[in-house]
Amino acid sequence: MDFLAWLQGTAFASAVAETIWAYPLLETLHALGMAMLLGSLGLTNLRVLGYKPELPLLGTQELLPLAWLGFTINAASGLALFTSDAIYFFSSYTFRIKLVLIALAGVNAVVLAHKVFREPARSGAVASTGAKWLAASSLVFWVGAAVAGRLIAYTP
Amino acid sequence: MDFLVWLESTPIADAITTSVWMYATFETIHYIGLAMLVGSIMLIDLRLLGFARSLPLPSMLGLLPWVWAGFLTNVVTGSLMFIYNATSFGTNRMFLLKMTLMALAGINALVFTVAVARSGDRWLAAQQTPAGIKVVATLSLALWLGVMTAGRWMAYV
Repeated sequence: MDFLAWLQGTAFASAVAETIWAYPLLETLHALGMAMLLGSLGLTNLRVLGYKPELPLLGTQELLPLAWLGFTINAASGLALFTSDAIYFFSSYTFRIKLVLIALAGVNAVVLAHKVFREPARSGAVASTGAKWLAASSLVFWVGAAVAGRLIAYTP
Repeated sequence: MDFLVWLESTPIADAITTSVWMYATFETIHYIGLAMLVGSIMLIDLRLLGFARSLPLPSMLGLLPWVWAGFLTNVVTGSLMFIYNATSFGTNRMFLLKMTLMALAGINALVFTVAVARSGDRWLAAQQTPAGIKVVATLSLALWLGVMTAGRWMAYV
């Protein structure tokens, strides 16, 4: 708690909270990063589930840089938004649920990438049942994280 | 202005005002609609610009139904939120900017459709985007980014 109080007392945090354009700019970047992340991972996961089978399964790897860019934008903009009101965000249950969902989505993505992209023998057009379960849960985790994020302002 | 005042007095506006969860739900669905709309437009435009070449161009253009689904989702949720806030949104300069940018994005999409129809589909089969269509794709990315930015800024002016 001391750390959170210190964090939101930093000059950076006050700048985010008080500069007229900083907060909306960070929120816009956060929405843009979300669209990059959900767009690229959404298509990849849907392809693993069998959507648009004419897209080469291994080719969806080329979408990963966009997902990483979105993730990086959101880690940075999210951290900056967090500092502006650290105690409030940290004590929000919805915010905590969001972080748990992101952590689950992250672990899920690593396992899924290993299963689909690192096993060249299985690089055919159809993903394994295990990979499909991971893809479905990935979609649930990421959409859940976006929903939880939007609801922080409305919930305890 | 009379119309905006009238909108805010409709039963729909009343229902949203009285309900504790409705507005938050519309906002959340609007956010998911944004991800569908901008997420898929970004994939299509970036592919037209040469990103992720292993993914066949015609299949990526096949993502357009996601754009429409996201757009319709956001027209519905956006209209509901507008009815609730009609007098403040209707006079908000960021809202007017958002609508202008959306109209431009719509015209741009129409130009894209006509340009694709006129250019034949040889470039699609060859997976080589003509320069003119690359300009349209870049404009589309810029306009939708502008729509998002103006939309987010509405709450701050």
